[in-house]
Amino acid sequence: MLLSLAWRNIWRNKRRTLITVTALALGVTAIVSIHSYRESVYSVLVQEITAGLVGDLQVHGKGYQADPEIATVVHQPELVEATLAKALPHSKPMRRVVGYVLAASGEASTAALVVGFQPDREQGNQSPLTLTAGHNLADVPHKEAVIGRELAQQLSAQPGSELVLVGQGADGSVANDRFTIVGVADAGSAELNASAVFLHVADAQDFFALGDGVNQIIVHLAASEEDVTAPETSLKSALDLNTLEVLSWNEILPELRNTMTQKRQQQHFVDLVVILIVGLGVLNAMTMSTFERTRELGVLAALGTRRRRLLALIFCEALLQGLVGCVAGTALAAGIVFSLGTIHLGAMSQNDIMGVRFPAVVVMKIYGTGVISAAATAFLTVTAGGLWPAIRASRLEPVEAMRHV
Amino acid sequence: MKILSIVVLSGTMLMAHGPVSRAVQTVAPADVPACPSGADKPNVAALVKRTELILKGNSSIGTITMAIKTTAWSRKLTLKIWARGKDYALVRVLEGGPRETGMMTLKREKQLWNWLPQAGRVIKLPSGMMGDSWMGSDFTNDDLVKGSSLTDDYDSSITGISKVDGHEAWQVVLIPKPNAVVVWGRIDMRVDRQMCLPLDQVFYDEDGKQVRRMLFSDFREVGWRMFPAKFTIEPRESGRETSLTYDDVQFDVGVPDETFSIERLRQGR
Repeated sequence: MLLSLAWRNIWRNKRRTLITVTALALGVTAIVSIHSYRESVYSVLVQEITAGLVGDLQVHGKGYQADPEIATVVHQPELVEATLAKALPHSKPMRRVVGYVLAASGEASTAALVVGFQPDREQGNQSPLTLTAGHNLADVPHKEAVIGRELAQQLSAQPGSELVLVGQGADGSVANDRFTIVGVADAGSAELNASAVFLHVADAQDFFALGDGVNQIIVHLAASEEDVTAPETSLKSALDLNTLEVLSWNEILPELRNTMTQKRQQQHFVDLVVILIVGLGVLNAMTMSTFERTRELGVLAALGTRRRRLLALIFCEALLQGLVGCVAGTALAAGIVFSLGTIHLGAMSQNDIMGVRFPAVVVMKIYGTGVISAAATAFLTVTAGGLWPAIRASRLEPVEAMRHV
Repeated sequence: MKILSIVVLSGTMLMAHGPVSRAVQTVAPADVPACPSGADKPNVAALVKRTELILKGNSSIGTITMAIKTTAWSRKLTLKIWARGKDYALVRVLEGGPRETGMMTLKREKQLWNWLPQAGRVIKLPSGMMGDSWMGSDFTNDDLVKGSSLTDDYDSSITGISKVDGHEAWQVVLIPKPNAVVVWGRIDMRVDRQMCLPLDQVFYDEDGKQVRRMLFSDFREVGWRMFPAKFTIEPRESGRETSLTYDDVQFDVGVPDETFSIERLRQGR
């Protein structure tokens, strides 16, 4: 009864209600679509990071994260991988050797970063590289190298060129050897494009005199999630933490994690501004509406309508407008998001955030969290905007109100 | 004790290990300032010049044992060094690990070239890597290349006299000249009054933080000069140390141009 009364009341002045509802709806649309865009980007970003060079989790020799020395290794990686298979059944482990070298080809030479990986295991979108010329490393070690494209330019090298590497072995010896460049690749970030030399992990182990040791075992979980606390905990309890360390991708890239958290907090501020603008509109409309109906409300009061009921009536009117605005706004946002579908960021994707490539293609999705946050915002707005007029209406003196022109 | 005095009396060198070849020249050349042992406040510029000339020589051929110690590993390499003036030097690894025996580093003016025996190639060191470790030691590539001179690039002063292990020494402070392009912000050096040779040098960066200390020891007589046969570098990083010990050295000898040829280096000879 109260609801239908409120529903009838809000449509008595259609134009005003439409304006109020539209303002609310646009606010909700803004919040939901910005939220969805950001979360969609983050989701792709997290996916790229966890599927690529960083992985969801990493196992290192103890102390490697704090001080990434070439000699800090995971010994007998096959044993760690066996434990891993038991603790996290559908995960995929990948061995990595990472070390700094001097790379030379012909007369040119420059500092570079060797990334030893397993070409037989890391294929498709799990490969740390996307070839732009030549072919990938053979599945068995063959003293081949694939290098980042900026590095190739710097060394004036191409597939077929010779590559000489010099570095320091884990035993202190001078590591030096000759490789054949078989491919040039996009290594996923500007930094790596300018420095990465991909070798077969066994060649890299030989080069750095690591024996059977590897610097990192990268773990790809069955499904890539932003929150990996649960698998991290179960892996930690399965491994010997006296000699090993287990880290999640967000512990490995804390800056990125912080940036994401910061951006999300900034979003709350934007939401607040939207609330404020829309809220003032609603307050204005509701005040006008109750003011215009002072006589009517006075009659209602004189007929014995309780103050509480009057308050509830006005409040219901506000809530109904809020609900309509929210539904319309979400529908509009969903329309925008789905019509955008997949966004190609083009030039923007050439930029890196904290050494991670900004994704080129973002698949837009509506995020429940965004809708909830928008609904909460809309509710707060109408509550704040409707409360004062409602209280005011409930406090009317019937006789005086009826005399109101 | 008796053996030692016989050695001294017989005029051979005062040395603990291995023979040091007797140099041809037995009288100091005229451009080397005399040792002002008696003076409390000697001409400091002349003193610094003398130490520098003695440590570097005009040319030299020597055999050196390089011992590197870190918390993770320690190793020894035997090196042969040919040097001429401050611009040319060649170092060859006579004995080391299988991957580095035969490795050579050639210094030509400000450039460094390495012959890598396993790769079978020569590479030129890019200027950005001059600050990196040379062969895993606590010496940097820059230490080999550096043309900077204590005499030309630093202003020196004597701040006092102290005793180091029973030796009386002048305390010399070296501050870079305003326009000098040098690595260090300050060098403290203690110079033995009897030998006029440094006992140690402490290197500070531009912020006044100690970066490393170089110790000179095992002083031997080579020709007209006394010469520290052992150089030890202690970097700031604890647990690390690199020492160079001359097993054999000849100063002011002719070294043919061909020794410093890049062509020859490319052939790995």
